[in-house]
Amino acid sequence: MRKTITFLMLIMGGAAAINAQSKKELDQKAIKDMCGCYEVTFKYTETFAPEIDYEKKLDYTAKALELALPIIDEENKISLQHLLVINDSTVIKHWRQDWLYENQKVFHYDKDNNWVFSKLPADAVKGQWTQKVYQVDDSPRYSGSATWVHFDGKHFWENKSDSPLPRREYTKRSDYNVMRRGNRQEITSYGWVHEQDNDKVVRKEGQEDVLLAQEKGMNIYTKVADEKCQLAEDWWKEHQGFWANARAAWDEVYDREGDLTLHKKVEEKPLFMHFHTLEKQNVNQAAILELLRKFIVDKTTNTNAEGK
Amino acid sequence: MLRVNKFKVLSWGAVFFTALFLFGFRAMDKISPKLQEKLSAAVQTTFEVGEFDLEWIQVNSSLNANTPVELGGDNLFKILQDGNVIGYVYLGQANSMKNVFDYVVLFNPDLSIKKAKILIYREDYGRQVGSQRWLKQFVGKKPGESLTYGEDIDAISGATISAKSMTLAVSDVLESMEILKDRNRF
Repeated sequence: MRKTITFLMLIMGGAAAINAQSKKELDQKAIKDMCGCYEVTFKYTETFAPEIDYEKKLDYTAKALELALPIIDEENKISLQHLLVINDSTVIKHWRQDWLYENQKVFHYDKDNNWVFSKLPADAVKGQWTQKVYQVDDSPRYSGSATWVHFDGKHFWENKSDSPLPRREYTKRSDYNVMRRGNRQEITSYGWVHEQDNDKVVRKEGQEDVLLAQEKGMNIYTKVADEKCQLAEDWWKEHQGFWANARAAWDEVYDREGDLTLHKKVEEKPLFMHFHTLEKQNVNQAAILELLRKFIVDKTTNTNAEGK
Repeated sequence: MLRVNKFKVLSWGAVFFTALFLFGFRAMDKISPKLQEKLSAAVQTTFEVGEFDLEWIQVNSSLNANTPVELGGDNLFKILQDGNVIGYVYLGQANSMKNVFDYVVLFNPDLSIKKAKILIYREDYGRQVGSQRWLKQFVGKKPGESLTYGEDIDAISGATISAKSMTLAVSDVLESMEILKDRNRF
């Protein structure tokens, strides 16, 4: 009798392990399904505002051609680099999304260009994937951990995470300072959709967040022939060495717990403009790290970060 | 005696404290800090100015008795930038279904309406009245023009009481401005 129970338990445990493995494979496939050449439509519209005198801003729409490349493809880490192709002649390094399985180290945006790095409990991230999103210069943007869902023929991942203002509003608006992003990434028959339900929030030290307005965002990625993104593919071959150095330099900065506050400008230039120069010179990791250190705010002499 | 009300708009905090200091206690009884903040924001965004001064336009009780809207309190202001008049603003209250709402009518120097806004609304029903898609119908209206809800100004389904009330209020403000204009108050 005891032998039978042990045998059954082994069978059940084995089945669970196989199920977990196939689930993880589905997750990996869904993440890698975001790779390829896409025509992207960006659409944003403000929806609700709690205060009656708030005047909704105009809708934002844009189109782009974008290549997403799997620059790291490991069992527990998949990194996708997005590259923009402008007018069939120019390539711009765009955002990067790293996906980490059962990852405990995350960061979240606080305000005033400050991110807080922390560690989640192991049991809170079981079976989950963390998405870490980085800006064009590989500086942090936002991250969040959640489970990929595969039901009824749908494959999606969704999460809520605070972030700085999006680039489309970064230099245009100062009436809010934190975007609480509702991210939903769903794989579709034609590509994938990054659906957003965002809260535009005013955050002040020691006070409760104030919701200014909400917005709906739809970034629709429609797969097109790979040849359309050949320029980006070639560009990456030429520049990937520099950006590997950049990631390695950033990794040294990200290996921390607590605050990371970055200056908005050093020598009158934002970080991505400095990177543009360093990229042209194809400098090594040490030179990149030297630049990053200039941007890191020393909390004891912090005069540049707003509201501190 | 002409009392000058000024608040330089430097930041939200500065708005509150400067207004508290310069408006004096009588005005503070009537205009809450929240409403002052919203009034400042309305002027700033409508006239696209960073810093400005508001100068109270005092209306005596006998003239006030002849205008359809209240002008005896902190209602009507001249908007100044570097000492130059860039417009006028009327701050008033009107009825919604079960409460009152605060509104502003912002005028160009020629006294035509530049913008109308609802600043504070105190109930859940009829909030559509705050939409600029509806309020923009008041833009360009001039003193002396009479406005009829459903004729000159489109009706709003689900916000009839507030929309009718706002139309009447703006119409009364225009009539009052005409009276002040005739008395050379601008």
